[in-house]
Amino acid sequence: MIQFSQVTKRYPGGHEALADVDLVIEKGELVFLTGHSGAGKSTLLKLIAAIERPTRGVVTVSGQNVGRLPQRAIPYLRRNIGLVFQDHKLLFDRNAIENVVLPLDIAGVDRRESLKRARAVLDKVGLLAREKANPISLSGGEQQRLCIARALVSRPALLLADEPTGNLDAGYAADIMAMFRDFHQVGTTLVIATHDERAITALGGRTLHLDHGRVGEAA
Amino acid sequence: MRTWLRHQLGALQSALTRLAAQPVAALLTALAMGVAISLPAGLYLALDNLGRLAGSLPAQPEISLFLDPAAPPGARQAIEARLKRPDIAHARLVGRDEALAALAAAQDLGDVVAGLPENPLPDAWIVQPQDTSRAALARLARALGKLPGVSEARLDSAWAERLAALIAIGHTVVWLLAALFAVALAAIAGNAIRAQVLARRDEIQVSRLIGATDRHIRRPFLYLGAIQGLLGGLAAAGVLSIAGWVLQEPVARLAGLYGSTFHLAPPGLPELAVVLGLPAVFGWLGAWTSVARSLRQVEPPR
Repeated sequence: MIQFSQVTKRYPGGHEALADVDLVIEKGELVFLTGHSGAGKSTLLKLIAAIERPTRGVVTVSGQNVGRLPQRAIPYLRRNIGLVFQDHKLLFDRNAIENVVLPLDIAGVDRRESLKRARAVLDKVGLLAREKANPISLSGGEQQRLCIARALVSRPALLLADEPTGNLDAGYAADIMAMFRDFHQVGTTLVIATHDERAITALGGRTLHLDHGRVGEAA
Repeated sequence: MRTWLRHQLGALQSALTRLAAQPVAALLTALAMGVAISLPAGLYLALDNLGRLAGSLPAQPEISLFLDPAAPPGARQAIEARLKRPDIAHARLVGRDEALAALAAAQDLGDVVAGLPENPLPDAWIVQPQDTSRAALARLARALGKLPGVSEARLDSAWAERLAALIAIGHTVVWLLAALFAVALAAIAGNAIRAQVLARRDEIQVSRLIGATDRHIRRPFLYLGAIQGLLGGLAAAGVLSIAGWVLQEPVARLAGLYGSTFHLAPPGLPELAVVLGLPAVFGWLGAWTSVARSLRQVEPPR
């Protein structure tokens, strides 16, 4: 599903976030990215979602060379990727369900169908009762679940999560990780960047450890 | 097709929501646009009315053909034959004696005329051409002036020509003003849209991350620009109708003093369509340039 070959990412100013990374992530895999902050975890996720382009090397997602994708093709790539951000990136000018519906609006899905699917996914993350709430009134854990709902509503084959439990206390974090396990079980490919060692041991799956932009396979 | 329509409707709805969210700003922008539009549009209407006034005057353009007193009879017959051609609507010979009598009567110059040793006036043809356009008149006057036996051909439409020339200058000024104000219009709309884009930075960034095309992001702003332009056009129409209403009576009074029933004509449907449609187009254009620029600022292309 995802393949990196000889990928280097150097930011303007010379900082090398990734150096000669080679890796393959199969369809349906659950992969954790670990490593201290600044090790390149976020950069790796951004390269997959074409938010950044590699300086050298080739990033392939579902057979497409993402680094060479023309600008106008990128939105269509992203519609097949669910993104979960540490800072949620929710919109506070609309209520919870309108946040979830956004990707379907963008894809041009019929409004009634969109709302139906949004309710289903809100139910799955346990926020159905809060569908009319403004995200700003939700707790950190609820906001994160809302962000996950938005990432999942278009039923992407691939979910990328950058520190999804970074700001949450242990109870919430466990909830969210349990949710990810469910998605993994229905066949979604997940790549999760996290510090949360407990979650990794609880869920199992493969762990890639990043150290100064280099990838090592952990046990 | 249905998806396309859904996108368009969604964008339109979103644009209207955004507009309604800031009614005062929208109103002020519309007013600024309205004033900008009403200047060239008002001048155009004034010229239109002036042109109508000039055209409605009874003065039919005439060419006076003064004959050379020494011309042989053959030349006179040739001239008469020429004046029977179809490009002449009507021609009338005014003999020198008749002309002198008319002069004496009309200008109250009987004493002067009586004191003249001999009649200084030549025989003349008063010619009304078929085609009264300015170019045709001038051409005909030149042609008739060259006929043997004609000492002078005078076009009696000099004042009409001057007025027409003035109106032509006025029209040029209208176009210049319109072009200037169209740029101003696009700038006003663009500025309003830029503020909107910056206020929606987060939404644009998030939308991009979850797969929105630039076109999708741009669309509501374009609608916003067009609607804002349309509102500006409406404001201009309002300004013009108030001006027309205020001017109606003084103009009628002035016309009455000249014994005319002239009154201000309101703009026709095509003019109204231009006043409403053109600002919408320029609002859209302004929005386009502004959004393209702002989108680069929100997330520079990689």
